[in-house]
Amino acid sequence: MVKVLLVGEASREHAIADALARSGREPRLYAVMKNCNPGIAKLCVQTGGAVFRGSFTDPKVVVEAASKCSADLVFIGPEEPLFRGVANALVEAGFPVVGALREAAEVEMSKAFMRRLMWKYRVPGRLRFKAFRSVEDAVAYISAYAESIALKPARQAGGKGVKVIADLQAYLSREKQEVKAKHARVIEEKHMAGYDDVEDRILIEERVEGPEYTLQAFTDGRTVKPMPLVQDNKNAFEMDIGPETGGMGSIAGPGMTLPFISGEELKASVEIIERVVEALWRERGVRYKGIISGQMMLTALWGPTIIEFYSRLGDPEACNVLPILKTDLLEVAEAIVSESLHKVDLEFEEAATVVKAVAPRGYPDHRELARGHPVYVDEEAIKRRGCILYYGSVDQRDDGSMVTAGSRVAEIVAKAEDIPRASELAEGCVPFIRLLDGHGLFHRSDIGSSTLLKRRVEQAELVREIYRYRASKGLVGRVLDWIPGRGKVEAEL
Amino acid sequence: MLIACLSRLGLELGLAGVIGIYAFDELWRVARFIYYGLLALQHRGQESCGIATFDGRGLHRHAAEGVVDRVFDEGLLASLQGWAGVGYVSPQPGQAGLQLAVAEGPVKLTLCLNGKLLNAEQLAKELKTLNAGEVKVFAELLSRLLAKLSPMEAAEEAMRRALGPYSFIALTERGEMIAARDPSGLKPLVIGSFGFDYGVVASESSAIDVVGAELKADVEPGEAYVFTPYSIERRRLFKPKPRFCAFEYVYLARPDSIINDRSIYEVRTRMGEALASEHPVEADVVIGVPETAIPFAMSYSNATKIPLAMGFVRTGPHVRSAIKPTQFERLVGVQLKLNPIRSAIRGRRLVLIDDSVVRGNTTKNTVAVMRNRLGVKEVHVRIGSPRLIAQCPFGMEVPPKDELIAAHLTDEEVAAVVGADSFHWLSLKGLLEAVGDCEERLCLGCFTEAYPFKEVEAREAA
Repeated sequence: MVKVLLVGEASREHAIADALARSGREPRLYAVMKNCNPGIAKLCVQTGGAVFRGSFTDPKVVVEAASKCSADLVFIGPEEPLFRGVANALVEAGFPVVGALREAAEVEMSKAFMRRLMWKYRVPGRLRFKAFRSVEDAVAYISAYAESIALKPARQAGGKGVKVIADLQAYLSREKQEVKAKHARVIEEKHMAGYDDVEDRILIEERVEGPEYTLQAFTDGRTVKPMPLVQDNKNAFEMDIGPETGGMGSIAGPGMTLPFISGEELKASVEIIERVVEALWRERGVRYKGIISGQMMLTALWGPTIIEFYSRLGDPEACNVLPILKTDLLEVAEAIVSESLHKVDLEFEEAATVVKAVAPRGYPDHRELARGHPVYVDEEAIKRRGCILYYGSVDQRDDGSMVTAGSRVAEIVAKAEDIPRASELAEGCVPFIRLLDGHGLFHRSDIGSSTLLKRRVEQAELVREIYRYRASKGLVGRVLDWIPGRGKVEAEL
Repeated sequence: MLIACLSRLGLELGLAGVIGIYAFDELWRVARFIYYGLLALQHRGQESCGIATFDGRGLHRHAAEGVVDRVFDEGLLASLQGWAGVGYVSPQPGQAGLQLAVAEGPVKLTLCLNGKLLNAEQLAKELKTLNAGEVKVFAELLSRLLAKLSPMEAAEEAMRRALGPYSFIALTERGEMIAARDPSGLKPLVIGSFGFDYGVVASESSAIDVVGAELKADVEPGEAYVFTPYSIERRRLFKPKPRFCAFEYVYLARPDSIINDRSIYEVRTRMGEALASEHPVEADVVIGVPETAIPFAMSYSNATKIPLAMGFVRTGPHVRSAIKPTQFERLVGVQLKLNPIRSAIRGRRLVLIDDSVVRGNTTKNTVAVMRNRLGVKEVHVRIGSPRLIAQCPFGMEVPPKDELIAAHLTDEEVAAVVGADSFHWLSLKGLLEAVGDCEERLCLGCFTEAYPFKEVEAREAA
């Protein structure tokens, strides 16, 4: 009997637990969670395992849980345990782990490290950036240059704190400059508060635009095995309006690419991931064992371009790919641990998938409003419609009742022959999730709709035309300028 | 050069340009964005304008007579603090600030409205308030409803009670912004956004472009959006019964705008093509009367292979002559924008393309200048829109029927009156094909005398 310990409590981990539970080898599932995700808890009980309650970002807590259940394998879901060395502690204690060591996970944790790495190893899809160790330096830079930029916390801060400002109209520039400077302070005071594990505080990157997509891949540090491309939808509300969230839903397939990403672009994206895994080995001397994901964008500058890396599966992106994974996830996990991933034939169903997240009113910027509401889910009705439900930010109490924990309550997954049909199927399941106290829930009905899909295709075609033109002129990844007195200059790091 | 006449001076015009911007975090100051958005809507009204903002504490507001860049200066924009705001431009002379009325009801709010309330008198009575203007009455209604209902429910109830074609944007002192379009959708309204930072609602997409945002969709007829610090809610409140204003396509909207999911420029291009196929003529040069008729002239020229020439140069600032309030101002506006370029015209056979004709006075004037002062061989007048035969009860103030030349004379008679060799309008069929929508989904009242909201008016009259 194989015993697997799962670390994490979100929808992504529920999807991982579900995929592991499907294994023909019938593993026994254990989980370390702070809130009790009812879906994961149920699978643990069904497979004869158990739940350990505690801080899953604390290496001591996780090692103790692994020892208690004498885990044969530990699968780490979220990024924060990786950043805090949970994988390192487990490896030291002799446990086989799927999840990057701290040194490798830095590719996500430190956005400045990631950019420096890409430049040092000349990996395609890199952007120009400046990293600042003080907010004053960042503000001074912002005031000196009225540019279109992405302003980010230099450390991954739960996906929050990123502001992208297109500063293209000179007549609006003054207000935008003000917002950039104010936001730099917000990053320092709010998003970076409490993080002292990176030296840089604020990152400024050149702004690029184009359709975004996520490439998730398994890796054993030598071989990279990509999963089907997924596109997440980050705006909170319909038609891509509203503040940034962790993701309100995502689309994938059918097949490995998306309707707006070509096979060639997929190949170029996989190469970027491969080169970064290789660069991490050369730079840090550790084999990357786990999942690495590129949050990518098709840009005029490069074609496939790295916006950020994840040292784990995306959420909601994991919920698109894991339900259609035909290969036994347990075997994939073991191959990662034993560095034999090249022997694994990774197979997925051909289906298109759509994930829709359902969130309480108040999410994403007023979590206090979103927390503590009683949840009811008609799981049977969702199953009858052929869809899958993954619980998210829900805490199950000892009496079995469930309350919201502030983030997305659950994610609904639908499979169909194309994305719009999957979207309709998922849409039909949304009413089966309710809050019993009448507090509002919201979701995006437009995710996966043909209207939105058409928009993405048009956007991609526009960008594709430009980067192909640039390629024909030998300008991929290059930005040329002419400065009076200095002549032609090429912008670099 | 459509010359509309404000025959009932002092009554409310239902035409306006409106915009609302709502930032998703408090770092933004939106006044300047609204200012530039209003510049992009200036063609919808040049007599008064205003901006109101909300900064988390209260509403700030300024409205005055004049064009946007005369009314607002740096100091005023700086005083309009806040991360949410609304603004309007209006062709309404007289009291500035009929728009952006502040409701004195239980929930303080300000509101701008593009359209007509057909039962304002009745509503004022029900609310036991003075009928101090349609916008004010609507603001009071909404204010009272907001005291007991959610913003979305309040919008629904207000729209159920306020009859007529309108789009409105309201901003409350609680930090809510409500934008909606009545089920007829006669008055356009579109929505866009800028990244993760702000949403924009405006009469035309040109305003969304100018504030650096991206057009997302039309606010559909019968649909409402409610912005609060916690959510953006979109809901279809009423079954859409589209009666899109055909005059937006012909004249009102800017050619760089997209409304009702249609590019105005493309529609006008097709109108010029239709005009060419319906009324071709042997000639040497095509010129268009600036500015609205230029796309008609370009596509007429492309379709007939008769070269297009630049016919006129404007003097002074751009003035939308047709929506000036008095005949005198309209005439000054027209004359200043029509200084002809002699060398483009002299000795040629000319196709002169205009957007519309009301009484025929200015057309007659222009043709006479062509013939007498410049010496053209022939003048063939082509009008890019169908015969204008009736008034508009919903905003565009067309003079009474007895002052409309198209309602009385045949094309041949008009040609003789204005001194042209030939004179033709685009057919109604040509317009419908160019718009690409069916008759039942449009308001063509000024061309057909058949209007939506008939029953409402009858009830009001009774």
